Amino acid sequence: MSEYFLRQEDLPRFLQSLMAAVPVVGPVAKKNHFVFQKLSSPEELRLDYDVSLLPPKKAIFPQTQRLLDFSPNGPKSCIAPREQVLFGVHFYDIKAIDMLDHLFSENVADQNYLANRHATTIVGSSIQKISDRAFWGSVGKNTQPKGHDAFLTKISGGFHFKALTEKGEKLTSHGQFSKASDAQSKEAKQVNEEILGKCPQRLQHSAEQIAQKVRASFKNEKLWDELAEKCFSCGSCNIACSTCYCFDVQDKWNLDQKSGHRTRTWDACLTEDFAKVSLGAGGATENFREKRSHRFRHRVMRKTAYLNDKLGGPACVGCGRCSEGCVPDIADPVKIINKIMES
Amino acid sequence: MASKEMNENVFMPKEAEILRIEQATPTERRFSLKLRDGATLDYQPGQMLELSLFGYGEIPIGFASSPTRKHGFDVVVRTVGRVSSAINRLEKGQSVWVRGPLGNGFDLKQMRGQDVLIVAGGIGLCPTRSLIQYILDRREEFKRFILFFGAKTPKDHIFPEDIDAWRKSKDVEYHETVDKADPDWKGNVGVITKLFGKTQLSPQTRVVVCGPPIMYKFVMLELEKLHIPPNQIFLDLERRMKCGIGKCGHCQMNEKYVCMDGPVFAYDQIRNLEEAFG
Repeated sequence: MSEYFLRQEDLPRFLQSLMAAVPVVGPVAKKNHFVFQKLSSPEELRLDYDVSLLPPKKAIFPQTQRLLDFSPNGPKSCIAPREQVLFGVHFYDIKAIDMLDHLFSENVADQNYLANRHATTIVGSSIQKISDRAFWGSVGKNTQPKGHDAFLTKISGGFHFKALTEKGEKLTSHGQFSKASDAQSKEAKQVNEEILGKCPQRLQHSAEQIAQKVRASFKNEKLWDELAEKCFSCGSCNIACSTCYCFDVQDKWNLDQKSGHRTRTWDACLTEDFAKVSLGAGGATENFREKRSHRFRHRVMRKTAYLNDKLGGPACVGCGRCSEGCVPDIADPVKIINKIMES
Repeated sequence: MASKEMNENVFMPKEAEILRIEQATPTERRFSLKLRDGATLDYQPGQMLELSLFGYGEIPIGFASSPTRKHGFDVVVRTVGRVSSAINRLEKGQSVWVRGPLGNGFDLKQMRGQDVLIVAGGIGLCPTRSLIQYILDRREEFKRFILFFGAKTPKDHIFPEDIDAWRKSKDVEYHETVDKADPDWKGNVGVITKLFGKTQLSPQTRVVVCGPPIMYKFVMLELEKLHIPPNQIFLDLERRMKCGIGKCGHCQMNEKYVCMDGPVFAYDQIRNLEEAFG
């Protein structure tokens, strides 16, 4: 695939044309933070965002998704993907979406996710501003961002645009793209390589070392009790996570009380009743992860060890959203992992 | 990707007609079901399904009948929550919705030609009934067949007519106990592990265990004493199996998804998992 150059002043017109053809979801400012949402004007797009509050996975795997509509006539599938362009995704979130692609495809393929994914064109973008809690420069170095269709890098005078798929290539018909010069391609490469060394937070060990040590620390109850001491079991770390994909399925009635829908919503393994089952009359229950330190541990295991064989690396991309989202500030994987490594 | 495949929704259930309902205990009802489209559910003993009622939700439930019985399939629903309460208010002729079969059943290949012991506690008799019926229907394929059943009280006997038949049958060596007897009870009283003293078991025996979470640890200790190796022991586990397809995360036990990697596990597969036995 080819590499192109787009002048800074040509970006709005490119976006305008693209938005006229298909909904474009990108980072926009919300007070002093950023969120991914459907753009209503090219000016809204903020490619200088540091990190979004919620990860862009929500454009494919929304917080609430209808699975089935039901009525007295029976159920109807709600799979109805709509074409969209997910624009300005940082490389760590591209890695996360690629992980979700794998997890929703393996064994039993879930088209509720995959159909949305197939209808989405992903355009990555270089990181211009770094979040305080980011550690993407030192996590999961063996996994590379893939699955996206194009990648945009801020360079002198404009943007380097690398088309990676047919879908990505087609986007160039919407703007005044010229062939990138060797110097421009070189500059883009350099920009994306250099940024990796600029993360404020850093893991001190390899993914393999971390996975081994964390897994071996499973029974160190004292360690987990200490780490989880201030946990509220609120699940914010899960909800902010770009690789979390656990969900709950619930039925909701419409006002007519005859029809309704079966929906799934993001769920969080840190919450108290996540693994709880009812046993019998009188409200007897069994909670398979009753202690909050055990739920805290489960998340750390999921992010550093359990999924590594499937994903080729840890299920954490170093975005730092969990660190930022945690009220008592105990969810930071860098602090947790470094503490476990020292134990 | 083919468009048909693209649109196939793994959450789409099939409609099943309630052919028969039996109030098994004050809180449990046994349903005989048949798919409305006339198709047969091609399941193995030990597999499970998601049973649902629209507007209320889905619950995971094991097949309580054997695929060798062609009338349809049975499930037992205990009234514990919103979905099970709503299902237990239904009547004969009405519909429920089913998604399955899901997960892995019992390893029948490992059991054929061998002595088989089933240890079932309480409602654990329901999913193991699929295997009990299977063995009784194909009795010549197995050697000794021993069944241990433990219930809280004699009133908690979910399949009273089955139990009556097993007591009299020559095809199964049936031993039972209750935690708490009533004045009419003449049998054993005490925990299920007491039944291990009632019969001789060879180390070759294939063992199936299903019951409340607390039961497993103690049964495993007994099996260890009998020198039955872990790869001959099969455990049917309960967890919060919500999606049934190994995605939603609720049933996870360390890195395993009970709904998909189980619900039946060989003991050697899970004995080192810290979350398997709490």
